[in-house]
Amino acid sequence: MRLVYRMLFHLWWVLSLLLAAWALLFYMTLSDEIADETDDMLEDRAEAVVKRVLAGGEISATRPEGGHDYYLTEVTEEYARTYAHERYSDEELYIPERDDEEPARVLRQLFRDRTGRWFELTVMTPTIEKGDLQEAILWWCVWLYLLLLVSILLVAALLLHRMMRPLYALLRWLDAYRVGGDNAALAIPTPVVEFRRLNDAVERFAERAEASFERQKQFIGNASHEMQTPLAVCRNRLEMLVDDARTLTPEQLSEIAAVQQTLGRLVRLNRTLLLLSKIDNGQFPEVAEVDMTSLVRRTAEEMYDIYAYRGMRLTVRDEAPLTVRMNPSLAESLVANLLKNAFVHGDADGTVEVLITRRRLEVTNDGAAGPLDGTRIFDRFYRATEKAGSSGLGLAIVESVCRLYGLHINYAYVDGRHCFAVDFPAES
Amino acid sequence: MKILIVEDEPSLREIMTRTLQREQYVVEQAADYASASEKLSAYDYDCILLDIMLPGGSGLQLLRELKARRNHAGVIIISARDSLDDKVEGLELGADDYLPKPFHLAELSARIRSVMRRHQQGGEEYLTAGNVRLWPDSRRVEVAGRPVELLRKEYDILHYFMCRPNHTIDKAALAEGVWGDHIDQVDNFDFVYAQMKNLRRKLADAGADIELRAVYGFGYKLVQP
Repeated sequence: MRLVYRMLFHLWWVLSLLLAAWALLFYMTLSDEIADETDDMLEDRAEAVVKRVLAGGEISATRPEGGHDYYLTEVTEEYARTYAHERYSDEELYIPERDDEEPARVLRQLFRDRTGRWFELTVMTPTIEKGDLQEAILWWCVWLYLLLLVSILLVAALLLHRMMRPLYALLRWLDAYRVGGDNAALAIPTPVVEFRRLNDAVERFAERAEASFERQKQFIGNASHEMQTPLAVCRNRLEMLVDDARTLTPEQLSEIAAVQQTLGRLVRLNRTLLLLSKIDNGQFPEVAEVDMTSLVRRTAEEMYDIYAYRGMRLTVRDEAPLTVRMNPSLAESLVANLLKNAFVHGDADGTVEVLITRRRLEVTNDGAAGPLDGTRIFDRFYRATEKAGSSGLGLAIVESVCRLYGLHINYAYVDGRHCFAVDFPAES
Repeated sequence: MKILIVEDEPSLREIMTRTLQREQYVVEQAADYASASEKLSAYDYDCILLDIMLPGGSGLQLLRELKARRNHAGVIIISARDSLDDKVEGLELGADDYLPKPFHLAELSARIRSVMRRHQQGGEEYLTAGNVRLWPDSRRVEVAGRPVELLRKEYDILHYFMCRPNHTIDKAALAEGVWGDHIDQVDNFDFVYAQMKNLRRKLADAGADIELRAVYGFGYKLVQP
């Protein structure tokens, strides 16, 4: 869930609760206020009537006056003693004109005239229907709520998008960031202290990652270089031994051959590591137009000769010519390692298929053992299966070359076949 | 033929010296920049094997001095830094060849021979072994004066051996030399045997007096009469 939506979601539920509580409070205060006002009015009315009665004025039992009805009844002294002298109540009153009952506020006041007779004055006024009031308040609250919600959310969304812009810029930068890659400078001007600090922190970490990546690269390069001379000495001493000695038995010779082969592996491993570190260091600056179609055909046929003992069939289909601008020796490495991977790791007696289309090179081979771990096959020294002589670096080279030129390499497992495809972007 | 080896690693220097002495070269050694510079100004050499990283200076600087003095010795740069820049710079400064470490001794002597051949005035453009002649430029082979048709890989193998006569070549080195780096994950060398068999039959049929002798369990060796 995006930060903005998350914030808006929280705003939404807090606002809902707050507005509901506010509406309830508002309703209670309002109806209280109305009741108070009504009672005051009734009291004034009652006072006026009582004054008139005490002055000896005549009043009719019920007479509409100013919208208020009142009537006077004489009561016993006992009644007067039993009840409070001023009583308010909410009652339903029958209105004959409308033939309906209406809610009303009623004030009953007991008083004694000069002759000592007790009277009860009942003053009433129709009041607002509570249900109507509640409904109206509810409606207005809902409208207010919606209005507030929409405007707050709109403003919040707008503000968030605006204020979070440096954050999103930073995220985009991080997404595009590659350690050791050609990264754009992190330039996100922002007056917000937190974002500035975040940018600074990210920059610091990137620098640290960059530095340790650099050190690692140098280490691999140096280590490989330092190994060259001792390797040369070992290899050459054995060669001298073989060239000099006439007394070596065939058994001794094949022992030496075995050691030489192992040394050869070490030499190639070393060379491959150097190649990888050179690719990572961008030490292949020169580029040329490389005719992939003929390169692939040539390499595939050579491989086919070499790996003939594995009994595989080879088909090369070119649906369109494919020329790519890149370093020729890296192009050779790319093609050779893709094909070698297919010949070495494909099932014996299977088929290696190469398909060249306008912007794509695809190499497939049989693999009955099931799909490989697509996230790890391009890692250095990752081997899905232990194969004699496999360096575990072939696909790492492919990946390195692809990364250098921004090519897209993907792996898929379709119908029991491993498929490696390199997409070359259209020439700009 | 006088060769100067400029190399700081004693073990490697000794190996190179012994190998080249066995091939009848006169060999001198220098272990650092100063002694190499001294030797180069005092004596003439036919070929110089030059390491780039030397105590006291760079081999490339020695090369510069050498060329400034219009010294016509052949120069082969031998470097552990298999870097394109060094190679390009070395060749631009007038080195004849560039051999990255680690190398095969047979490869070293093949390169020396090739440099020498190119340096000799009116030198032969072909390689000879027994009654076999091979023209690298036109990929032509003659046995006792009669042309022999070889397939591409057969020719490559013969060329490889004629550059390295009397060296015992193990099959992996041969495969790598002829088929290139593609063989780095091969654990079966049947493809080498098949080509060798055809080549040996063709040479025998043409009446060649050289032999590509199988060294059991190891590889092959070109033996001259």
